[in-house]
Amino acid sequence: MNLKACLKGTALAMVVALPAMAQDNAVTVVLSEELDLVDPCMSSRSNIGRVVLQNIAETITEMVPGQGLQPRLATEWEDMGGGTWRFHLRDGVTFHDGSAFDAEDVAHSIARTTGDKIVCEIGAKYFGGMELTTNVVDANTIDITADPAQPILPLLMSTMTVVPAETAVDSFVSTPVGTGPYTFDEYNVGQNIKLSANPNYWGDQPAVQSANYVFRSDSAVRAAMVQTGEADIAPNIALQDATNDAMDYSYPNSETVYLRVDHNIAPLNDVRVRKALNLAVDREAFVGTILANGTLLATGMTPPSTIGYNTDLTHYAYDPEQAKALLAEAKADGVDVDQEITLIGRTGNFGNVLETMEALTAMFQDAGFNMKLEMYEVAEWENFYSKPFAEDRGPQMVQAQHDNANGDPVFSMYFKYACDGLQSGVCDEKIDSMIADATASVGAEREAKWKDLFAYIHEENVTDVFLFHMVGFSRVGERLDFEPTIKTNSELQLAQISFK
Amino acid sequence: MTAFLQKRAFASLISLMGLVVLVFFLSRLTGDPTTLYLPVDASLESREQFRELHGLNDPILVQFGRYVGDLVQFDFGMSIRRSAPAIDVVLQAFVWTLQLALITMTLVTVAAIVIGSIAAFHIGGVFDRIATFFSLIGASAPDFWIAIISIVIFSVGLGWLPTSGTGTVWHWILPIAVLFIRPFGLILQVVRGSMVSTLSSAYVKTARAKGLRNKPIIFVHALRNAMLPVITVIGDQAAALLNGAVVVETIFGFPGVGKLMIDSILQRDFTVVLAAIMVTAVAIFVMNILIDILYAVLDPRIRY
Repeated sequence: MNLKACLKGTALAMVVALPAMAQDNAVTVVLSEELDLVDPCMSSRSNIGRVVLQNIAETITEMVPGQGLQPRLATEWEDMGGGTWRFHLRDGVTFHDGSAFDAEDVAHSIARTTGDKIVCEIGAKYFGGMELTTNVVDANTIDITADPAQPILPLLMSTMTVVPAETAVDSFVSTPVGTGPYTFDEYNVGQNIKLSANPNYWGDQPAVQSANYVFRSDSAVRAAMVQTGEADIAPNIALQDATNDAMDYSYPNSETVYLRVDHNIAPLNDVRVRKALNLAVDREAFVGTILANGTLLATGMTPPSTIGYNTDLTHYAYDPEQAKALLAEAKADGVDVDQEITLIGRTGNFGNVLETMEALTAMFQDAGFNMKLEMYEVAEWENFYSKPFAEDRGPQMVQAQHDNANGDPVFSMYFKYACDGLQSGVCDEKIDSMIADATASVGAEREAKWKDLFAYIHEENVTDVFLFHMVGFSRVGERLDFEPTIKTNSELQLAQISFK
Repeated sequence: MTAFLQKRAFASLISLMGLVVLVFFLSRLTGDPTTLYLPVDASLESREQFRELHGLNDPILVQFGRYVGDLVQFDFGMSIRRSAPAIDVVLQAFVWTLQLALITMTLVTVAAIVIGSIAAFHIGGVFDRIATFFSLIGASAPDFWIAIISIVIFSVGLGWLPTSGTGTVWHWILPIAVLFIRPFGLILQVVRGSMVSTLSSAYVKTARAKGLRNKPIIFVHALRNAMLPVITVIGDQAAALLNGAVVVETIFGFPGVGKLMIDSILQRDFTVVLAAIMVTAVAIFVMNILIDILYAVLDPRIRY
């Protein structure tokens, strides 16, 4: 073979090997990090959820934004009293391995997710501090009992992914099997994950017939991939890369940024000082400058999509003079308002977090606080954020970002505000009682009680400094008919995507 | 030579053991991985359970003893994050890094030697000035900037090449091109300097006086003598690439060992960090021995 022929052959091979642009009914999704695990019981982690949740493994119920709690693998449920709920399961459902789905699978999945052989994130995140027991009534009916009783057990079941009863309880699976509309085909470590439509799915066949997930940690590269047609969706890009009006969407990402105030140590145990902290912050100045347009000013721990969100509350207006006056009043009563307060921030928590924290520090200092900023990476920061707190600490405020996309404040309020809450900086009997009451209520009463609690925390106890409900940015290719929602922060249901 | 190799291997083993001890204890100083692996809302019981499962509750000396005991049986432990053997995770990544380093260093070496030699022969000329200008720019330009700009130009703007990934031959062009620039600039300058010195030596003048053509003078006689310092720098640059081209791997989505190492440090995945350091250290020791052998091949005066 002469050189010319050899070069021609090589050129032809390279052209053939050109990166295949997305096929008609296939999509490519570019995620910000490679998945370390693909086990359904870990799918409360954002990127694992975007691949696995409701695509491969389905939950017992499903929380749908704007529609509330909907059936998924359970078609209906009823309160049997004494902390027990009966779930009637969907008939005719099969797993990807061909086995039939029944109540034994649900019982096994609950035991596996909440068991102690492996630490499943769903178990640790949603079912800590409670014991779940199951009783299989028949193949399509199961009783689930929570101790202590959980009035929102059906809502909690919207987080519980179901795997076959044969799934090992002492190790994570590397090839997840579920009942979802997509099967897990292959995982080329470091390169991609491939899913394809499940022909035996119990529901409608989706428009997207296959999906390829690739991983790029640089936001600019993820945005460029959608721009060039190499990918169809980049669920999470940085504010500075969201420059294409035709492709970029902003959506409330269910994250709330706030400053957790430590009520245990003076001067932060004085309500006037906490109110002064709130008055010292010019929240509006952040939006559209170092934080994205569309960022909402927060008055509570959970985003507006949660039940009981109190729309009657308004954020504290920026008033440094009133803040100074409150500090002077407290000082006159013997409160040591000149004591140094440490503001603890978490590096990399969200875009421009350092700039945000520096601006906040300057605002507090302008209002007369002796404020010092310290930034920590996540593992060190966690020591300040979660109990047990250090005995010899001084007055502290910890910046944190809290995610609640589940539609109910119960996922947040106990941890953040109960006396025994892992991240609670306050211990107030009234708050504990209000959390217990709201948690035990249902329907309109539940909504009203959460609303009252939000008002008490914001107006009377002035527990924390609430700052912002954040927005995220996604880039979506123009051939897709898909608009990201608050759920895009934790899942990406391929079956909800169609083509233009 | 055999005695030399044995001596080097023994010295390398001692260094490796020191590295293991150092990295094991230093990595533990970075904190408890439990807080990174569990959600912030995880209960104290869950945290305790996680520590128990991964042996993090034991005193550090017990953990070290267990690690060394496993290591002598070539068991590098399990990755906490990936629930897979740490050595498998590292070797999968190392293959990508090795390919990237080999291709890049081959191209760099050939291009830098040829262009550096010609520049030295025409010292002060147009070719020399152009080569020097671009090599200095290349040696000082930041990788991440070149990488992003190259994607903007060649992928988004012109649409000639894919932005990132590993699927086809085309995917390798931008990462290799970006990796090429810095060592090329550096090695070209070393080749040029060394050749300038060699070309002014007496035996080159004698060759010219005897009427030899330029090509054999440069590439046969002068180059071999000018190569010793060049090989040292090539070794340094290759070692840097074997440690992982973190920036390039991150931006272009190459699943190499550099990115794995950084991710594992940030995630406190201690077993992977240690396995990655050992694998790259062994590769660098092997490469250094090869370079020593190459010295002896190029310069007969060097004997071990």
